[in-house]
Amino acid sequence: MTRQDVRAAREGEPLGVDAWRTTHLDGGERLQVVDTVATVLAGVYTHLPAKRAAYASDPVQALVLLRRRAVELSDAEFHLAVTGILAGLRDAHTRYLGPAALRGHVAVLPFLVEEYGPPHDLHHLVSTVNAEATSAPVDPGFAAGVEVLEWNGVPIARAVQVHADRESGGRADSRRARALESLTFRALDYGPPPDEHWVIVGYRTEDGSFAEARFDWRVVEPGRAGTAVRAASRGALKVAVDPAAEAVRRAKKLQFVPGLWASDDAPAAPARPADPVPVAGEWIETPMQDVVAARALDDEIGHLRLWSFDLDDDDAYLDEVTRLLGLLPTGGLVVDLRGNPGGLVWAAERALQLFTDRPVVPTRFSLAATPLTRQMAASPFNRMELEAWHDSLQDAVSTGELYAQPLPLTDPAWCNDRGRAYPGPAVAVVDANTYSSGDLFAAGWVDNDIGPLVAVGAATGGGGANVWTLTQLRDALVGTDVTLGPLPAGAGMTVAIRRAVRSGRGDGIPIEDLGVPGQPYTMTRDDLLHANRDLLATCRSLLVGGPPSDTGEAP
Amino acid sequence: MWAIRGRVVALADDRATRGSSRSTGAFTGRVWIDDDGRIAAVTRSTRPGPRRFDGCPVVDVWPSLVMPGLIDFHNHLAYDTLPLWTEPSQTQPFAHHSSWPRAATYAASTTWPAYALATACPQELLAYVETKAIVGGTTSIQGSPPMNRPRDGWLVRQIDDESFGTGDRNMVLVSVLTATPAALADRANRMRAGSLFVYHCAEGRRGSLVAREYTDAEAAGCLQPQFVAIHANAVDGQDYARWRDAGAVVWSPFSNLWLYGETTDVPGARAAGLTVCLGSDWAPSGTKHVLGELKSARIVADHLGWDLDDETIVRMATCDAGDVLARGWGRQTGRIRPGAIADLVVVRAPRGAPPFRTIVGATEDDIDLVVIDGVARYGTPALTAAAHAPDLTPLPVGRRSMRLSLTRPDDGVTRWTWGDVTDRLEEVRADPRREIEGARARFAAWGGALDDPDAPLRLALDMPTGLGPVGGLPRDLSAISVPPLESLVHDDAWLASVGGRGFHGGVLDALRDYYG
Repeated sequence: MTRQDVRAAREGEPLGVDAWRTTHLDGGERLQVVDTVATVLAGVYTHLPAKRAAYASDPVQALVLLRRRAVELSDAEFHLAVTGILAGLRDAHTRYLGPAALRGHVAVLPFLVEEYGPPHDLHHLVSTVNAEATSAPVDPGFAAGVEVLEWNGVPIARAVQVHADRESGGRADSRRARALESLTFRALDYGPPPDEHWVIVGYRTEDGSFAEARFDWRVVEPGRAGTAVRAASRGALKVAVDPAAEAVRRAKKLQFVPGLWASDDAPAAPARPADPVPVAGEWIETPMQDVVAARALDDEIGHLRLWSFDLDDDDAYLDEVTRLLGLLPTGGLVVDLRGNPGGLVWAAERALQLFTDRPVVPTRFSLAATPLTRQMAASPFNRMELEAWHDSLQDAVSTGELYAQPLPLTDPAWCNDRGRAYPGPAVAVVDANTYSSGDLFAAGWVDNDIGPLVAVGAATGGGGANVWTLTQLRDALVGTDVTLGPLPAGAGMTVAIRRAVRSGRGDGIPIEDLGVPGQPYTMTRDDLLHANRDLLATCRSLLVGGPPSDTGEAP
Repeated sequence: MWAIRGRVVALADDRATRGSSRSTGAFTGRVWIDDDGRIAAVTRSTRPGPRRFDGCPVVDVWPSLVMPGLIDFHNHLAYDTLPLWTEPSQTQPFAHHSSWPRAATYAASTTWPAYALATACPQELLAYVETKAIVGGTTSIQGSPPMNRPRDGWLVRQIDDESFGTGDRNMVLVSVLTATPAALADRANRMRAGSLFVYHCAEGRRGSLVAREYTDAEAAGCLQPQFVAIHANAVDGQDYARWRDAGAVVWSPFSNLWLYGETTDVPGARAAGLTVCLGSDWAPSGTKHVLGELKSARIVADHLGWDLDDETIVRMATCDAGDVLARGWGRQTGRIRPGAIADLVVVRAPRGAPPFRTIVGATEDDIDLVVIDGVARYGTPALTAAAHAPDLTPLPVGRRSMRLSLTRPDDGVTRWTWGDVTDRLEEVRADPRREIEGARARFAAWGGALDDPDAPLRLALDMPTGLGPVGGLPRDLSAISVPPLESLVHDDAWLASVGGRGFHGGVLDALRDYYG
């Protein structure tokens, strides 16, 4: 990929006219969408009983009602209505994909906003700026460190709060974390495009005065890395990911580290086990840079960044992580999963063994006990995938159990087939955007007593399920009484199909919405502006003793 | 329209056809085959056929035998490329059908390779296993793997799927895995509405735990004439006697002895008035086709001292099975008589050879022509040419070069060569992981309805998957190894694999007497 190619990809296109408004679905096609979504939710959605209880709402009934008026709506209103019903589930796994016109696109603004401080005194800082964005020349005063005060004329805290109401996330803090992210990045596969074509940001300059800057939304196609899980691979049905967050992660990478983004599809460099001990602070070169990074913080502590578990070959991944761990100082390790949107369940659960001598027990998954899941488990076409749940689904008819027996997706033997790779103590760090397979990793970390878990905010994001696409679900309905056709205009959906519950110390506790709590930590201004300085200091104190950071909340 | 002249083993139940042939079982005559795939007439000696057949070709095979096509009433086709399987660590016969799937080597030896072929090259897999059946004179076979879209027969008549062009898939219902009492009750009612129900029932050693499957079926109301109990070897004559509206049991002597060291109580079943049919089961524990199972039946009956003559054994795979099928199909197979479906086999025989002993003793080398639905599908070059068999491809079978009528199943008209079939199977064998993933990608790319006739064909495995991780397959698909394709015939290598393995105590070693 040439430099011009990268620049063009980074620049993207103007948001333009909303494809949701220009892709017309006639009345019959809308009913196909509504009926399919209703069938999926009522038939296989694993969290339906819990969501009905938690949010006092019934998405299936909402779809029944939408069906009555679907024809009367504009296209945009229709798609927003479907999206809204699914968004009400507060489940990033279960999403409606609108018409295919914007498939793979992410709307972006050329900066990031992050927050610090306790909940009652939150401050919002611009943490990163893409100064090379040419579509809207950036005011020189708008730089990392300025405090955002207003968003399109609305006080920033209120703007985030309003947006959080549209976001997934079972807790207020997880919704706010996603809302904050979606201020500047939105995956257009899974939600409506921004209503506005540009944003006016009111901010406090370094000299304390108030200024405004305007930024146009642009649309980019971040694609997926060559190492990402493939639709046809063995693990494709063993994925737990927030697909929208993964797309946003990729878009951020394109915007702020385009060089790395451009090398995603480059041939992997051979591993170099003879690499010298790295220079403190410098990231070690790795062929799997899309999902992992490692560096020595000093001659004592290492830092392993697990960006994502969106990878296809978990063996190659474990090989590479093992190699990187072998290059890090052994006095202690910070395993950082903040913002990890998940991916291949096997990768997350098998990686745990690299940090402990204890046998690792994986999380377990179960199907909701419904007539349709019973049929699916009985279908000869699903023998390999679902047969293990067959008997307990049948038993549920007479026992009244809401779920089938929970069983691991990752064979326990695979979770212990390599053994420990890092000899020192380790602490894991998560936040409310650590999701899905990220949640599973955090749960395994805690439940297998691997080490302390530091949670920025209250807990991980709380995505406790294995997620399938509509195509995968259609495939699994062969042999049942239910047939789902492809949706019109390339629309689709993803659905949480198997609910995860924790094992070991947290045996039986669901992950959805609750997330995995850890020792709470509140981000500081220095964290945002100085590479997580206080956070890492807190982690160091957990690893080697000594006082925690003055500014971070005491663990 | 055409006719075959030979020594007709009619096994007819109408006096006009049967005549006095019961004494020898065969008469010289001609079988007149209509364009609708049915037998128009059967005539003795030189008597003419129906007038409208005047001048039609007559294929003369005399003194060879013209008999009904063989009916294999129990198989699992998806596994029929595999070799015989035993669990090395197993020292005692298995107790029942849930015992051997728990063996350590079961999944890797059966489920995984069958999955690879069924997923990556379903059409070629079916071509191979159906050809293996037709080489043994099979014209109807039970055990078609479940499919995502209807398939109305292709090479060999599929008992599970056959609808005779009507699209009615309820003529024959099948369940391999143990059904719940409620499901059995539903099947009982479906049988009362006219369906035939073929059910894996009480497969195991006599008195073992699975005997309750028979009582469950009884409690559900399944003991009807339309009920076909496969194996039912965990129960005996006393249990069969309660089946007053007698149905059928399917006997798989080789597989039973191989796994359990004992077999179905055939005399007890016959004494209870049940119809006994034959099935070769599946390649991991069975003969290669029902022609081999005839010999297994002979050997086992002799070993156990049962009073079963050769004719009785032949009837199990022809007219008796055909009569049972007729309860669901409403059409007759397994007999040569006017109106019956023209599924026929020509078995090479010298003049005067006793027909039933000849049939029981026949090997693949003796099957000279197979006719299905009135069309010659397999045979010697001379006979297939004389019978105007369409779309022929050379097919090596043992020492002979035979001809097989083979068209691509996706369009039914494009000629397909045997080399195409085996080449593709070998491609999958060479790299199962790549081929499975490629097939999955094709499934994922298909945007239409999955039961659309143009949808990629998907097959499902119908046997227990065995012990393994959730998901059934190894995490790394590269761990799947597909054994070399089993030959089409009971050759030396296969016979050698029988001796000293399984739990037959040497009884089945006698198969070598037929194939040696």
